[in-house]
Amino acid sequence: MATQIVMDRAGDTRHNFDVKNADALLKAEERFRELTGAGFTAAVRTASGETVVKRTFDPNAEETLFFPRLVGG
Amino acid sequence: MFRQLLRNAKERLRRFLSECGRRARVLRDSLRRQPDRIDPSSRFVSGFRYGYWEREARGLELLKEWLSPEQFAQYDAKSYFEVTGCHSGKRYRISRGTSMNIHELDGAGRPRVGWCFAPKGHLVAGDVMLAQKIALETDERGALAVANRFGVAGGRNTLLDY
Repeated sequence: MATQIVMDRAGDTRHNFDVKNADALLKAEERFRELTGAGFTAAVRTASGETVVKRTFDPNAEETLFFPRLVGG
Repeated sequence: MFRQLLRNAKERLRRFLSECGRRARVLRDSLRRQPDRIDPSSRFVSGFRYGYWEREARGLELLKEWLSPEQFAQYDAKSYFEVTGCHSGKRYRISRGTSMNIHELDGAGRPRVGWCFAPKGHLVAGDVMLAQKIALETDERGALAVANRFGVAGGRNTLLDY
């Protein structure tokens, strides 16, 4: 089971999906494209704990975090 | 005469503080009786699934999940954690908050300049700090390009570039 975590005003919204399910995987990929297209940054953690930004959908990522576009405060 | 004035002022101040304390207690008790009123966001945004404190707690949980063990320990002890910028290798301190909470550190670990950027939208503090951490660790230049800079003098923030 993989998870896409989207930061939002509620804290975050989590979308769990089964990577072995083709439909669910397709839906997750669409969500990835929609969010990154809307300016969200997608990040995953590697096995060593390092954070890496993903520009394309990674079906092997266990957990992908999305946060909105950055703006000056 | 001066002593008399001072006594009067003291007495007025005592009464004023006493009244403030009484009002604060009344307000606190009334809020406790109506927990919904504690949620400030409910007055601005409808349809939230979670209350204010629950959202804040969720954000902090997410942040802690993504911090390295060293950052986690630092945050737990000091309410801030440090990250290394991926391009310059500079150290940044991210303090608990949602704005003006990033300080670039000098070689001695002292804040030398402040940077202000955050994800767009009304996110909770944990989410904001996590986005700031990831941005500095993975795209430092991009983050600083949108950020506003502020000076740090005598431990207090001073706006420079607003």
